[in-house]
Amino acid sequence: MGKYEPQNLTRGAMIRIGLLILALIFPFFPFVSDYLLHICILIFLYMILALGLNIVPGFNGLLDLGYVGFYGIGAYTSGLLTYHFGLSYWLIIPLAFINGAIWGILLGAPTLRLTGDYFAIVTFGFSELVVLFLTNEIWLTRGPLGLPGIDVVSVDLTLFGGPKWEFVGELPYYYLAIVMVLATVFVMYRIQDSRLGRAWFAIRDDEVAAVSCGINLLAYKVIAFAISAAFGAVGGSFFARWVTFLSPDMFKFWESFLILCMIVLGGMGNIWGVMIGAVILVSLSEVLRELLPLLGLPVEVRFLAFGLIMVLMMRYRPAGMMPIPAVAAQMRAGRKKRKKIKPTVGIKK
Amino acid sequence: MIPILEIKKLYKSFGGLEALKNITFNIEREEIIGLIGPNGAGKTTLFNCVAGIEKPTGGQILLTAGERTTSIGGKKPEAVTALGIARTFQNIRLFDNLTVIDNVKIGRHCRTKSTFFGAVVRNKFQQEEEKMITESANRYLEFVGLKGRGQEIASSMPYGDQRRLEIARALATEPCLLMLDEPAAGMNPQESRNLMALIHRIRDQGITILLIEHDMKVVMGVCERVVVINHGEWLAEGKPADVRNNPKVIEAYLGTGAANAA
Repeated sequence: MGKYEPQNLTRGAMIRIGLLILALIFPFFPFVSDYLLHICILIFLYMILALGLNIVPGFNGLLDLGYVGFYGIGAYTSGLLTYHFGLSYWLIIPLAFINGAIWGILLGAPTLRLTGDYFAIVTFGFSELVVLFLTNEIWLTRGPLGLPGIDVVSVDLTLFGGPKWEFVGELPYYYLAIVMVLATVFVMYRIQDSRLGRAWFAIRDDEVAAVSCGINLLAYKVIAFAISAAFGAVGGSFFARWVTFLSPDMFKFWESFLILCMIVLGGMGNIWGVMIGAVILVSLSEVLRELLPLLGLPVEVRFLAFGLIMVLMMRYRPAGMMPIPAVAAQMRAGRKKRKKIKPTVGIKK
Repeated sequence: MIPILEIKKLYKSFGGLEALKNITFNIEREEIIGLIGPNGAGKTTLFNCVAGIEKPTGGQILLTAGERTTSIGGKKPEAVTALGIARTFQNIRLFDNLTVIDNVKIGRHCRTKSTFFGAVVRNKFQQEEEKMITESANRYLEFVGLKGRGQEIASSMPYGDQRRLEIARALATEPCLLMLDEPAAGMNPQESRNLMALIHRIRDQGITILLIEHDMKVVMGVCERVVVINHGEWLAEGKPADVRNNPKVIEAYLGTGAANAA
């Protein structure tokens, strides 16, 4: 009962490789338009963001409502460094990662002593602060005017006597996004199966027991928060160089909520679940964007749909579509038990 | 020989409630010592003070691990664990969503080092450390009698096995003093007999054991010395047989239970 057996590796690996190949050849299908590619990139971007956020609620069991703040910080880091200094994107990725981590530590170190909802409120406040900062510090960010004309990503080999190749259109970004998603998934898998990941899971399951095993709660929560923030910032850095325009209202609270929805929908703590959550919600968002005006409703109504999904998930499948293995095993065991017990109860009556 | 743990004039109060008043006793090296007392006597509070979860209001707790003596009163729980005190909990506290082996591996946390960089890069140091963690985790599982069950989910195991897993996890922190909070609670006679044998085997590894227990059969069967506290105060101390016949103790706690145990 409840025995957790690792999935058939060869089959799982085949599915993974199949999906990857499909993603790689996808742009060459005849029906694929630029618009479709754009949505795919958006899905990949949200995969990175959702995987990054997943560390905090999924791995550590802490509610984080301010993730979009780090996304915004990363985006503006990337945008400003490009705008003022013309830095190459390949340099900006690590810089955004580090800047995100620094802000994660700055916010996390004093506030991660708070428990549960109080911490969530602080993170929420932080994301609002970021938006206010971006709106009002006009000398730095140009405020509500936004930051236009950010350079596209380019591969510059002129230093080595090679050509300079700029990313034009969606196709190069599509592949760049795939590479970044793969890197993120790689890091997540490695962390999941390490001393660091186990310490996080311990904190998620029982803080008192974790501390008795010698885990420094605050330190490990801050590490988690910093890494999560760093991935958010990397996602933002990509976003800035992809859409080449930034404005503060892109980083409103709704984004945090949307990313959190992806995690809850897919299955908190499950890497695959989180990615599937991103696919579903981004696609749904785009479908609704087309569909709602036809029904005579404003586009914002789609947030109602997301809210409805959240409520239904919480009611019928709180662990998400793809729960973590232990929860899945318990659910299977629970189903079996219920089926077995029911007739005996009937007889006793 | 210096006692492994010296508790000197320990006080702990929660607001106006004095949970511990002037508790003084020593724990000798490699002994199995029982801490008993009626419900609400302050046994678990004392445990929490030693483990660092509660901060004592007064007094000293001195741990002598190896040659060094350290004062651990008020130290953080993770620091206390690193110094060599491990514990289990009255209500089992396992990492429910993790496998059995991962639970024990987490116990190795305070004796290992690698973090983010090692996890991502998997350098040689991290690989070797991970290998050692897995090997020793399996060794501890075998020691408590859970060999080959590493891949089960902790929360799906039977109650007695969960208790043993909790002990394995505590042992994985390489303690010199192991504190067991009611390890036999809810166990059937067969399981308690196995538990007593396990406690003896742990002591034979050179680990001192302090246990809280209500099951008098276990206390009388396994403890070499017993400390009795009542209303947060030290009441008696001595060999189980002597304590059992101490009129003060009988009055405070054992009552008819002593007759049954005898």
